[in-house]
Amino acid sequence: MSRRRLLFLFFVSALVLTPLVGHPQSQRAPAAPQATSTARVTFAEAIAPIVYTNCVTCHRPGEAAPFSLISYEDVAKRGALIAKVTESRYMPPWHAEPGYGEFVGERRLSEAQIATIAAWVRQGMPRGDEAKMPKLPEFSADGWRLGQPDLILEMPLAFDVPASGPDVFRNFVIPTKLTEDKWVRGIEFRPSARKVVHHALFAQVPGGSRANLDGADGRPGFGGLSAVGFMDRTDPGLGGWVPGAQPAMFTEGIVSRLPKGADLLLQVHFHPSGKAEFEKSLIGIYFAENGGQKDLASVQLPAVFGLGAGIDIPPGEKQFTIKDSFTLPGDARVYNAFAHAHYLAKQMKAEATLPDGSTRPLLWIRDWDFNWQDGYSYKKPFILPRGTRIDVTLTYDNSAENPRNPISPPRRAIFGEQSLDEMGTIGFEVEIVNKAEVDAFHDALASRNKVATETASKNGTLGRLLARGLRRNMQQLTIFDRQGSVVTRLGEVGSYSQAAFSPDGSRIVVVKNDPDTDGRDIWAFDIATGKSTAITSDAPPDSAPIWSPDGTHIAYVSDRDRTNAIYRRAADGTGVEELVYTHTSGAQLILTDWSADGRFICFWSGETMFVLPLTGERKAIELGRERGGRFSPDGQLLAFNSNQSGSFQVYVKSLEESTRAAAVAASAPPGSQVSDGPSVGGIFWRRDGKELFYLSVQGGQGMMAVDVVGTMPFQTSAPRMLFKLATPVLAPAQLSNVASPDGQRFVFAVNVQPRKPTP
Amino acid sequence: MGSDPLPELHMRSSALVLWFFVVGTAVGLAQGDRGRVQLRDLDGRAIRPFAPTGRANALFFVATDCPVSNAYAPEIQRICREYGPRGVECTLIYEDVETHPSTVQLDQLVRTHLRQYGYAGFTPVVDRDRAAATHAKASITPQAFVIDRSGEIRYSGRIDNLYAALGKTRQQVTSHDLRDALDAVLDGRKVPHPETEPLGCFITDPALLRKHDHE
Repeated sequence: MSRRRLLFLFFVSALVLTPLVGHPQSQRAPAAPQATSTARVTFAEAIAPIVYTNCVTCHRPGEAAPFSLISYEDVAKRGALIAKVTESRYMPPWHAEPGYGEFVGERRLSEAQIATIAAWVRQGMPRGDEAKMPKLPEFSADGWRLGQPDLILEMPLAFDVPASGPDVFRNFVIPTKLTEDKWVRGIEFRPSARKVVHHALFAQVPGGSRANLDGADGRPGFGGLSAVGFMDRTDPGLGGWVPGAQPAMFTEGIVSRLPKGADLLLQVHFHPSGKAEFEKSLIGIYFAENGGQKDLASVQLPAVFGLGAGIDIPPGEKQFTIKDSFTLPGDARVYNAFAHAHYLAKQMKAEATLPDGSTRPLLWIRDWDFNWQDGYSYKKPFILPRGTRIDVTLTYDNSAENPRNPISPPRRAIFGEQSLDEMGTIGFEVEIVNKAEVDAFHDALASRNKVATETASKNGTLGRLLARGLRRNMQQLTIFDRQGSVVTRLGEVGSYSQAAFSPDGSRIVVVKNDPDTDGRDIWAFDIATGKSTAITSDAPPDSAPIWSPDGTHIAYVSDRDRTNAIYRRAADGTGVEELVYTHTSGAQLILTDWSADGRFICFWSGETMFVLPLTGERKAIELGRERGGRFSPDGQLLAFNSNQSGSFQVYVKSLEESTRAAAVAASAPPGSQVSDGPSVGGIFWRRDGKELFYLSVQGGQGMMAVDVVGTMPFQTSAPRMLFKLATPVLAPAQLSNVASPDGQRFVFAVNVQPRKPTP
Repeated sequence: MGSDPLPELHMRSSALVLWFFVVGTAVGLAQGDRGRVQLRDLDGRAIRPFAPTGRANALFFVATDCPVSNAYAPEIQRICREYGPRGVECTLIYEDVETHPSTVQLDQLVRTHLRQYGYAGFTPVVDRDRAAATHAKASITPQAFVIDRSGEIRYSGRIDNLYAALGKTRQQVTSHDLRDALDAVLDGRKVPHPETEPLGCFITDPALLRKHDHE
C-alpha cells in the first residue's frame, strides 16, 4: 500500500491572535487583588487596555461575539457580567492550562487583570480621563485578510439554521474542480452568519466520495459530528476555524496536499441564537509553490479518535478514564497539538517522558468544552527525541451532575459520531527530523491505526456504527426497471439494507435492522406475493447476505463472540445453520458474491479483498487492496472497486491474474478500468456476461451499464447511465445482486419519508 | 420607587412566625403597589404588568442585545402559546434603556427585535425608568415572573435550567421552572420553587452610568 502523509493541520495555524502586548496601565496594575481594590480604577486607563487587547477581536460590530465592547457605555453596561465571566474564566475563552505548553495566541487574562476588572465594577465603573484612552486597535475592513486567495470556494447552497433547538453539526461538500494536485499553505474562512457559526473544520475527500450523503435528507450537506473524514484515515486535515481566530498561514514550511478533483469537506457547528439565520460560507485557499521539504506526521493518542480505545462509558460513571501511550520511533519536532472529544469529556492531558527520564508537559485541558475546540500551536516548536514516551489520559463524566451530559437520565455512551456518543484523542503534528527514521515512524503510526480498527471491528464498535447509519433513515424495498421507473414496492417501510435478487430473479434477500434493539437479521421476500420470511432471527447481528448460485442457500456474516464468521442456511428459512468459515483476524467481513460454479465466495475486510474456496481446507486467498468483487458468469473474470487512482473506480481483471498479482506484488495495475467517474458498489454481471452494471456516485447515485465487447483482452463500451436514484442508497459498496439475472430489474432499499399520521 | 425593606427581612427570617409576617407583608405591599406600576406599550397604551386581568401574568425581562435572553426567544414564545389559552397573559419588558436613552430610537430597536426574533402578538413594554425591574427586583435578562390574580409575585427566576453557568448550556433541559410555576398557580397549588437563580445579562442601573458622564 502506498503510504500517505497524515497531515492534520487543525486550527492551529489559523489561531494567531493579536499577541498580548504590554501596555502602561496593565503594567501599573498591582498584582495583588487586595491592592487593586483600593486604587482608583478607571475605564480609560485600566479597563480599555485590557478590553481592547483581549476582547474586541470578537466583541465588535460584524464579528462573532453577541455584543460589542468598544465604547465606555458598551463595557459599563455589562460591567458586572464581564467581572463574572472573567472571574470564572469563561471569557476570554481559552482552555489550555498554563504550565502545559506555551501556545501562540493564548487568550488568557492574568489574575491581576481579572482583579482590576472586579475592582472597577465595585468602584461604580468610573469613566476616567478620555484623553488617556488607548487607541482602538485597527481592524482591516471586510474582505480577505490574507490577501486575494488562489482559490475561492463557496457553499453551493445556503443552509438554513433554525432559531432554536440543539446545536446543529453539518458537513458540506464543495467540489474544488482542481485539474492538478495543489499544496495548501493557508485557508481563510468567512462565514456569512457569524452569530451562529461556532466553529468549522476543513478536510479534503476524494471527489464524489460523499455524493451518497450530500443532500440525502433534502437539505444541503449531511449531518453527524464525527471529526471531518475521520473514517477515511488517509485524509489530510486542512485546519479549522473558531471565533476569535485571526486568519494566518500555516506554520512556515507546513503545507497540505489537495489532490486534483478533490472535494472540500466543511464541517460547521451551528449554535442557534433565537433567530433563524442562513449560512453560505466562503473559503479562501492559498497555494504553496511545492510540497515542502518536511516529513510530517500526525500522532493521535489514542489512534483514530479513540475508535479502538474501548470508549464505553456506563451511565452514572463520573471518572471514566482512557489512557494511551506511544513511544516515538524517531526524533520528532512538535509543532501543534489538538484535542477532540464530545460532550462527556472532562480532562484531556498529555505529557512526554524523555529517554533521560525527564518529563515535559504537553497539553492539559482541565474542563473540556466542545464549543471551544481550539488548536494549540506551540510558541517554540521543540524536539522530542526517539524513545520519548507520550502518555495521554482522558477522563469522562457520564453522571447526571455533568451539565453537559447530552442525555438525562444518563445512558451508556459508546464510541461514535453522534452527539450521544463519545470519542477522544489528543493529536500532535510533528516533523520527523531524521530521514532514516521516516519509514519506521510511519509504519508505527499505520500499525496503531490498524490495531484500532481491528479492535473496533472485534468489539462491535464498527458494526454498531454501520447499524446506526442505516437506522437514521427508513427504507422500502423498491424494484425499478431500466428507465428507473418503479415497478413494485415490497414489504413495509422499515430499516433495510443490502437488498439482492435471487439468481432466478423471483425473490429478494435483505438485511432488516431492528431500530430498538440494534438487531440485524436476514429476511427474504417473494416478489410475486410480497410474502416475507425470516432467514435468521438470532441475537447476533447478521449482515451481507449472498445467494448460492442455485438459489437454495443464503450465506451471510454473523458477528458472534467478537469474531466475524460466514454461515449459510437454506433460503426458505428451514433447517439448521452451518458454519462456513471463520476469519482469523481483522475487520468486519462483507460478502459480495458466490461464484456460478458454487466453488468460491468473494468478500472484503478492512481494505483487503479475498476469495474463499469452499472446497478443500477453505483457506481465504488474499487479492489486494480492493473491494466489492463480483465473479463473471463464466468464472474467469472478477469485477471490483479499487481506489488506487485516487477515487473508487470499477475494474475488471482475470481471477487468475488477481490471485497471482496479490501473491507477487502489491503494486500490480488494478486491471481494465470500466467506469469513467467515481463509482462505488452495485457491480453486477448480466447472466449472459454481455453487460456489466455498477453504481456511479458522481453527483448523486446513478445506475450505470456497459456492454462487454471483448474478453481477451477485456473491453467494454463507454458507460451509459440507465437512471439516477432520487435518494442515495446507504453503503453501496456492500451490495451484491443489485439486478435481476436478465438485467431488466434493479432492487434498492430506497429512503422514504416516514408517513405522517393522518389526523 | 424606593427600595423596600423586604429583602433584608427575608434574609433574616428563619422563624416560622417571621416567615408568615414577611409573606403577609409581601402580599399587602404587592396589592397596594400593583396598580401603580404602569408602563406603556409601543402604541402608548397603558400596561399594568403586576395587575393581571386574566388568571395570571407571565413577565419576561429581556434585552435586545443579551444573547441569553435572545436564545430564549423561541421558548418564551412556546410557553406563551401554550399558556395563553389557559388565561396567562405574557408581557415582554425590555431593559435596554441605558444603551439607548432616546425614546424614538429605543422603540424602533424594540420593534426590529420583535420582528427578528419572531415575537408576533406579544405585548412589549420598555421599562424606561426601571419601574418594573425595581418593583419586581429583576436583576437579570432573561428573568421570568409569575404574577397571580391578586398581584402577588408567585415566581421569580430562570425560565428553565438550560444554562448551568454562563457559557455552559445543558444539552438537555431537566427542570422547567417557569412552566412548573405557571402550572401550580393555575391549579391553585403552592409553587414548588418560588425563587430560582436567573442566569444571563445584568440589568444595570442607568443612574450609575449617567453618574460618570460628567467626570
